[in-house]
Amino acid sequence: MDMSFKEKSTWISLASTLGIFGYYFISLFGFSDLPEEQVNEAIAGLLLRSIILIVILEIVFHTLLSATNHKAAEMGEDERDKLIALKANNYGYTVLAVGVVICIVRLIGTEMGPEVFESSLSAEIPMLTAHLLMFSFILSEVVRFTSQIVYYRRGY
Amino acid sequence: MARLPIVNKVRELRFFADEMTQQQLADLVGVTRQTVMAIEKGKYSPSLEVAFKISWVFEKPLEEVFRYSPEQEVQD
Repeated sequence: MDMSFKEKSTWISLASTLGIFGYYFISLFGFSDLPEEQVNEAIAGLLLRSIILIVILEIVFHTLLSATNHKAAEMGEDERDKLIALKANNYGYTVLAVGVVICIVRLIGTEMGPEVFESSLSAEIPMLTAHLLMFSFILSEVVRFTSQIVYYRRGY
Repeated sequence: MARLPIVNKVRELRFFADEMTQQQLADLVGVTRQTVMAIEKGKYSPSLEVAFKISWVFEKPLEEVFRYSPEQEVQD
């Protein structure tokens, strides 16, 4: 497949995000067996581990990519790369904004009608707002990288 | 897939410029080879700056390299 440096870099970011945060969300389900007092600590540890892992993976793979594509790495982005990034950022931002609005509505709802919200998922899933925000962030990144790749494959 | 209303002769001009490669043109203009490829296939309309640079490389006026052709435009 004929890919530009930026497209390869986007594939790396998409694969790292899907891999690490797939692991993050799958691991969350494993915490249901833990005693309640250990769950929050385990979740915080997992989140920190996932963030460190994704940073390390991105650095390692992007260093390897730059080392093997020295000239392209030095050139940086051209005008098509910038336009594609701008368009993809719009899609990612929309997804993130929807996620944030959902979290705000949930927080307001918890304040105004705790009996409705506390009896539902919030009571069963610890740190639900943090998970929702995290999920929105990951989804927005996946949408951003995927739309970038679609634009690259189409030409623009 | 949208087809852009701007058609060009970049491929033809490369051929007549000692069969200049896409990479050579890309280096002269300051874009990636993939961008040159997208321009040639009519999938991407370059900025005015890049269009002028391409014309300058082939020593042709802009309108000889790029032409506006609204009948070409096809939407998704």
